Amino acid sequence: MTGKRRILLSYCILTILLVVLFAANLFWGSVALTPGAVLAALTGSGQDALSVSIITRLRLPRAVMVVLLGAALSGAGYLLQTFFANPIAGPFVMGISSGAKLAVALVMVIFLNHGLLTGSVTLILAAFAGALAAMAFVLAVSRRVQRMSILVICGIMIGYICSAVTEFVVAFAQDSNIVNLHNWSQGSFSGMTWGNVGAAAAVVLPALAAAFLLSKPMAAYQMGEAYARSVGVNVRLFSRVLVLLSSLLAACVTAFAGPISFVGIAVPHLAKQLLGSAKPLWVLPGCCLGGAAFCLLCDLIARSLFAPTELSISAVTAVFGAPVVIGLLVRRSQEGVQ
Amino acid sequence: MNQNLCETRHLAMGYDKTPLAQEIGLKLAPGQILTLIGPNGAGKSTLLKTLAGQLAPLGGAVLLDGQDLARYTGTARAQKMALMLPHTRPTELTTCFEFAAAGRIPYTGRLGILSPADRQIVAGALERVGAGALADRDFNCISDGQRQRILLARALCQQPQLILLDEPTSFLDVKGKIELLSILQKLAHEEGLGVIVSLHELDMAQKISDAVVCVAPRAVSGVMTPDAAFAPENIRQLYDLTEEQYTAVFGAPKKPRFEHYVRSGQKLLRCGYTTGTCAALAATGAARLLLTGAVPESISLQTPKGIVVEVAPLFCRRTAAGAECAIEKDGGDDVDVTTGLPVIAAVELRQDPAITLQGGKGVGRVTKPGLDQPVGEAAINHVPRQMIESALRAEAEAAGYPGGFEVTISIQGGEEVARRTFNPHIGVEGGLSVLGTSGIVEPMSQQAILDTIQLEMDQAALATPRQLILAPGNYGLDYLRDAYPEFAGIPVVKISNFIGDTLDMAATAGFKEVLLVGHVGKLCKLAGGIMNTHSHTADCRTELFCAHAALCGADRALCARLMDAATTDACLDLLDQAQLRVPVLESLLAAIQLHLDRRAAGTFRVGAVLFSNQHGPLGTTQTAKELLEQWKQS
Repeated sequence: MTGKRRILLSYCILTILLVVLFAANLFWGSVALTPGAVLAALTGSGQDALSVSIITRLRLPRAVMVVLLGAALSGAGYLLQTFFANPIAGPFVMGISSGAKLAVALVMVIFLNHGLLTGSVTLILAAFAGALAAMAFVLAVSRRVQRMSILVICGIMIGYICSAVTEFVVAFAQDSNIVNLHNWSQGSFSGMTWGNVGAAAAVVLPALAAAFLLSKPMAAYQMGEAYARSVGVNVRLFSRVLVLLSSLLAACVTAFAGPISFVGIAVPHLAKQLLGSAKPLWVLPGCCLGGAAFCLLCDLIARSLFAPTELSISAVTAVFGAPVVIGLLVRRSQEGVQ
Repeated sequence: MNQNLCETRHLAMGYDKTPLAQEIGLKLAPGQILTLIGPNGAGKSTLLKTLAGQLAPLGGAVLLDGQDLARYTGTARAQKMALMLPHTRPTELTTCFEFAAAGRIPYTGRLGILSPADRQIVAGALERVGAGALADRDFNCISDGQRQRILLARALCQQPQLILLDEPTSFLDVKGKIELLSILQKLAHEEGLGVIVSLHELDMAQKISDAVVCVAPRAVSGVMTPDAAFAPENIRQLYDLTEEQYTAVFGAPKKPRFEHYVRSGQKLLRCGYTTGTCAALAATGAARLLLTGAVPESISLQTPKGIVVEVAPLFCRRTAAGAECAIEKDGGDDVDVTTGLPVIAAVELRQDPAITLQGGKGVGRVTKPGLDQPVGEAAINHVPRQMIESALRAEAEAAGYPGGFEVTISIQGGEEVARRTFNPHIGVEGGLSVLGTSGIVEPMSQQAILDTIQLEMDQAALATPRQLILAPGNYGLDYLRDAYPEFAGIPVVKISNFIGDTLDMAATAGFKEVLLVGHVGKLCKLAGGIMNTHSHTADCRTELFCAHAALCGADRALCARLMDAATTDACLDLLDQAQLRVPVLESLLAAIQLHLDRRAAGTFRVGAVLFSNQHGPLGTTQTAKELLEQWKQS
C-alpha cells in the first residue's frame, strides 16, 4: 500500500529532522562551544562549569520547551481547523493567542506591581482563561456568520484589540520588568527553566494524547457535523472537548512563549501535504513532529541570525508561515472559482 | 414479528417548541421505497432529520425496527440506519475509498483503524453503487453524480437496514438522477433495504416509489399509494398549483393508455382494442355510473384474448333517461379509419333482468344476409354482444342490482368513416360495424407477418419435418381444433392472407404433406389463383361462385344474385336454394386443387379444407381427402 509507505517515510523524515534540529539547537548558540564540550556537558562529564550550565540550564530546557510548544501549537492549530472546517483557522488568527496574551500580561503586571512572583501554574491558568474568553467570542460570532472569512477577520480584530490593550497594560508595568514583558509579548522561547518545561509538559502531553484519542470522531466530524452525528458521534460533547483542548494547548504556548504566529496554520498544512492524507489519525502525530521541528528551526534562526541579539520568534515564523497561508488562500479561492 | 423497519407513532416534529406538523404516522417495510414529496420549506428535511434521530421529536416516537429510536445508542443506531445528506464540506487529500470508509465508523475501534474485513466491505459498497473504479480518485475531483454515489457507498458501509436520503438527486443531470435512483431501486427491491428518500422530481418519484408521504406546510399525509399521491388533484393541492400551472408543465391529466405490446420482427408494436371492446367498456362505465352514482375514473375489461384493457372514459355522464359513457377507439400502432372515434354506450335501467342491445348513430345496419347478424339488425357482431352482456351482468352483480339494461351503442362520426370501408359493399349500411373476436387489435406489418410465419414454419420443421397444417386465421384454427382433434400433434402455422408465400416457404422447409384449413370466404379465392387473400389484393369471391355456378348450370337470374351477394355464406344460401351447392363446391375445390398443385410444383402434396361458420364443413380437395385419410391411419 503506497499510502501507508508514504506515511511511514514521512514520519521518518520528520523524526530525523527533529533530531538533527534538536542537536543543532544544542550545539549552536551565541556562546561558541565545541561539540566535545556540549557532549561532555550532556553526558554529565563536563569540566567547565560555565559550558555545563549553558547546556543543561539554558539550551537543553529551551530546546525541549521548543519541541513541546511547537507540537502544542501545531496540534492546537489542527484541532481548530478541524473544528471550524477551515484550513486557515489557527490560535493566532482566531485571536485566541492574543486573548491569552492579554490575560497573561494583566496577571503579570498586577503580580509584579504587588511584588509577587508569577509561577508557571498561575500563568497557564491566566492564559487558559484568556484563551477561553477569546474562543467564546469567536464561537459567538461563528454562530451568527456563515462565512469563514468574516470569522477570521473577527479573530484578527480581536487579536488587534487584545494586543493594543496589552501594550496599554505594559505601559503600567514597572520599568525593570518592561523589557522582559515586552520580549514576551512579541513571542520568545528565551529564559525557559526546567520548572517551566515540567509544567508545560504536564499540560501539553496529556492534551495531545487526548486529542489523538479523538482522531476517530474527528475524522467523522471532518465530513460534517450532521454526518458525525448520524454515525453516532456525540457532537456536543466532542466539540466542547475539542474547543477546550485547543484552547488549553494554545494557552500553554502563550503562557510561556507569548503569541507565536502562523505555526498553527502552516505546519498542519505542510504535514498533510507531506503525508498525502488528511486523516486525523496520521496527521495529528505528523503535526506534532513537524511543529516541533519547525519551531526548532525558527528558534535556531531567531537566536543565531543576529547573535547575540535575539529576534522575536514570531518574526521568524511569520517569514516561513505567512507564504504558506497566502498560498492556501489563493488555492482556496481558485477552487472556489472552479 | 414486527414487519416495519421504520414507524412513527403520534409523531410531532419541528424546531424549538413549535411543531411543524403533528400526528405523523408513517411506516416502512423492508424492501420498500418511501418517497417524501412536497414543496420547499414544508419540512421534508425536518422529517428526515427527525426520523434519523438528528432532531428530537416534539411528541410521539419514532420506532426503528420496533424499538424507540431514543433508546438506541448513537453507534447502535448508526449500524441500523444510515442518513445521506447533501455533502457540503470540502474535503482534502481524501480518496473516494477513504471517504466511503468513514461509513465504517460505527464498527471500528477506538482509533478508527480499518480491519481487512472492513476494507472488503468498503470495496463491496463501492461496487454496489458502481463506483469501484473510483476508489483511488480524489473525492474532490469527481463529478456530482459520482460524488452522490460515493456518499451512498459510505451509507452502505454502515451496513444499514434503512437508508434515509435527503434530496439526493438535486444538482444532478438527468443521467445522474436516473443512475442514482436505479441504484436505490436495486438496493430496495433486490437487496431488501428500506429506503426513505425526499425527491423533487415527481416524474421519477412516481416511477420508483412503493409508497409516498406528502409533506405539506403544517401537515404531513399518511402513507399513500403512488397512484393516489401523484394524482393530479393531489399534486396540485400539495404544491398549491392552479390548474393552468399544472397543465402547463404536466399536460392535461393523463388518461391511462392501453399498453400492451407485441413483437413484430425487430419492432415492438403497441396493440389496440377493437370497437367491440370499446362498446363493452362504454356500457360498463355507464352502468357503473347508474348503479353506484360515481363517475368511474377508469374502466377495465378482460377481453376474450385474456388481456385486460383499462382506459379512462372520454366522458361518463347522466342523461335524462340514464347515463352515457364514451370510450375512444385505439387501434394501437395499427391505425385504421376507426382510430380516435368515440364509441358511446347509452344505458338505461329496466325492471326485468333482460339486456337489450341496439345500434345507434354511426353503427351500421345489416342489409344483406350472410353476415354475422341477421338482416335488419345493428352491425354488432356476436362476440361484442357477449362481451357487453357479460360485462353488464358483472356490474349488476357487483352492485346487487336485479334488473336489466337497455343499451344503445353509437359511434360518433361512424357514418362518414364507414363510407371509406368495405361495409357498403358487404351489406352494412349507415355506419361502422362493432366487431372483434379477441377484443384486441394486434398490429402487424406485412414483412413482420411473413417473418413470423417463417419463424413458426422453421419451428414446425424442427418438430415434424413432413406434415404441416396451415390456417389463415383464428376461424380456421378453431374449426381445426373442433373438427380434427386427432391432429393436435401436427404443427399448425397461422399464415394470415399469405397463402402463396407460405406455400413457397413450406417447399423450402422441405415439408411433404401440407393441409390448408380455412374459411370459404378466404380459400375460395384460391380457385381464381389469388394467392394473397387480403381484400386489398383482390376480391372475386362472388365472381368465382358465379362463374362456377354458371358452369354447373345455374341460370342467369341466380348468377346475378350470386354476383350481388354480400358474402360467401350468402352465396352458399343461394346455391342451397337452387340445390347447386354440391356441384359448385366440387367445381371450386377442383379449381383450388389445381392452383395449389401449380404453386407447389410437385415438391410436396397440398390440399385444402373449406368450411364456413354458418354452414359448417364444406368439403375437401382431392389431395386433402387423401392426406386426411392417411394421417388418420398413421
